[in-house]
Amino acid sequence: MSDETKPASGDSSGLLNGLLTGGAEKPQRVNEAARSLDPSAVKDLLSLGVCERCILRLITVATFDSDLATVSSSTLRGWLGSGEEEAASPEMSICIVCLGVLQFVFSDDKQTLVKMKSDCGSGHAAWITDLVKQQGHEFDSFCLEVSLPSTISENERAVLLYLKGKYSNEAWLQSEKVSVKDALKVLVLDPLRASLSLQGAKSDSSSFHIRLTYSKASDDAQGLSETTHERKKRKTDEENGSSCISENPFEKVYEPCILSVHCNQMPIFFSGRYFKYSRNVSQSRWIIDDERMGEASVEEIIGGSILPACLGDSYKFHAAGREDIDVRMLGSGRPFLIEVQNSRKCPSQQSLTEIEEKINNSEKKLVGVKDLKFIGSECWAMMREGEAEKQKQYAALVWISRPLEEEDCNSISSMIELKILQKTPIRVLHRRSPLERERTIHWMKLEKIKGNTHYFLLHLCTQAGTYIKEFVHGDLGRTTPSMGSILGCRAEIIQLDVTDVKMGDS
Amino acid sequence: MEETQNIDVTKNPEAEDAIESTKQKQSEEVEHHCDEQQKQSQCEEDELRKLLLSDIGELPLSPPSAIQVNFVSYFITGFTKPGHDQYIYRHANGLCVIGLAPTHIAFKDQGGITNIDFNVGKSDRSVLKVSGKRKKNAMRSESNTALCKVSTANDSYIVRCCVKGSLLEVNERLIKQPQLLNSSADREGYIAIIMPRPADWTKNKESLITLEEYKEKKQDILLEPCLL
Repeated sequence: MSDETKPASGDSSGLLNGLLTGGAEKPQRVNEAARSLDPSAVKDLLSLGVCERCILRLITVATFDSDLATVSSSTLRGWLGSGEEEAASPEMSICIVCLGVLQFVFSDDKQTLVKMKSDCGSGHAAWITDLVKQQGHEFDSFCLEVSLPSTISENERAVLLYLKGKYSNEAWLQSEKVSVKDALKVLVLDPLRASLSLQGAKSDSSSFHIRLTYSKASDDAQGLSETTHERKKRKTDEENGSSCISENPFEKVYEPCILSVHCNQMPIFFSGRYFKYSRNVSQSRWIIDDERMGEASVEEIIGGSILPACLGDSYKFHAAGREDIDVRMLGSGRPFLIEVQNSRKCPSQQSLTEIEEKINNSEKKLVGVKDLKFIGSECWAMMREGEAEKQKQYAALVWISRPLEEEDCNSISSMIELKILQKTPIRVLHRRSPLERERTIHWMKLEKIKGNTHYFLLHLCTQAGTYIKEFVHGDLGRTTPSMGSILGCRAEIIQLDVTDVKMGDS
Repeated sequence: MEETQNIDVTKNPEAEDAIESTKQKQSEEVEHHCDEQQKQSQCEEDELRKLLLSDIGELPLSPPSAIQVNFVSYFITGFTKPGHDQYIYRHANGLCVIGLAPTHIAFKDQGGITNIDFNVGKSDRSVLKVSGKRKKNAMRSESNTALCKVSTANDSYIVRCCVKGSLLEVNERLIKQPQLLNSSADREGYIAIIMPRPADWTKNKESLITLEEYKEKKQDILLEPCLL
């Protein structure tokens, strides 16, 4: 033990970033921890096959935080007096509690055994960093997630139970133990930040997640594997007050866990307004019996352009309302959101502008986009804004069975806030509830068509959720009043365009 | 001070002009900006009008009706009794609208149909309450299940489902306005909407005839082709 009497550091996290093993000054806490180890307990656990860090974790009174984390394995071995045994056998045995996780021993996904040389977390961090870089994400912060096999906590429980049995009421038994998961995070977090060259303050939350998943190699090789039946039996036994340790609780572990590293970026969002100029393009991908309906979809045209720019895995399209495949979306356009899953990079506003231009200048001119931009968490509020008060404006080409008269124009224009009752239209009755919905037609205007008395353009502004086609042709009398009933004749809708979707913003 | 200024200004009329013209320019700019905005929205409106009007294609004298566009018409003649001709309009989504075909013998009676009663069979069809997307509580019908009874001055006739499926709704407006059956049996005078299962429809279809077949069969009776 060294003679330094350094004051114990209050803030453990800041102290030992990147500290190398050996030759470093140990703070007082670490010395105390070393002194407090119960030698017989240590020897006991060593002989069972528990690794040095787990012993330190389980037997000290002090919490296994980053001070203790930076103590190298060889120093630990020195403290615990297991040095001789180690020198004798070159093969390091895998810890029966943490299955090699805290020893930085694992198999990669090609089943190759990996043993970290530098045993202070930085070697492990470097290995992880390589895999993270391979996945190609751009990020300036990360959140570390660790997933471990459930047997590790079972192993720990079994060992603690054994210790309680043998060393009941020792001080070090009573203190709260840092879990293997948290211990790993403490060991790896700072070296990983350094290895990834991240500047800036640590933040608790980040939208970029690095997940370390340790999974069992195979049932037999990792001992202490309970079947579900055994687990249930043990749980009920514990509930009933009796403690049950299985016949041979501390079998040797032959294979470490398999470690895979996955990175995931939380979804990013883009907003804008779209126009639909074609009467043969659906809003979202529409496939019936393996056949596509319509020649394209707004979703695929826009999403398909943004996804490659983000190098994402997939996208979702959300729109503020929808229109039929044969209805054009004109005027100020309809607000939409594109959600991109696991994007590797975030395109610049310039790239977005280029994407917008590419869509707008495309040969076929099926769809148009405006105001395409990156948007943050306020995106949902934007979509929901004014939903209930949303008014929509349309232009419908209408045919009536008798000639249009001047009176008709006047009587229609004078109808303000007309209330109509719409039974669920037959064309959607198969998938919607049979209800009667009251809706309001805010205003209407007839525009005559030169040289034709049976056709006219009907401009109207209605409440959100109004079925316009049914308002014109009456849906066999299930929408009342209808254009036909108002004009006292038959009316048919030839085509429909959406001319405005009013939202809270303009 | 003012005097001096005045003198200065008068001494230098060009400066005055310059000041004046700057002021004018500024207010012009503001107006211009407003104009620009107005111009732009006017421009957008014009664009919109162009799009709306340019898309108006041929305007046939009598365009196909919503029913002709969205439904396939089937007929069944002499269903359970001679002269009991009915139509079945089937939508692309599988729903079937049932009604009296123009050649139904009820229309031959003097004064046409005067009354309709949905209380036939075991229950009153007009009080069924179907709810939800899954169409809970819909009455399951066979093709010969009675839908309603229509009466004329002379006689009454049973109208049947013709299609096996779930009865989603009956046209209860007919109760107060039975004359709809006389004026527009093929539209507002429809009788019911039934949802058959795909397998049941495939079987059912075999006993139905198409519009063309119906026209041929009944050409002697059908005097008003525009009804179809």
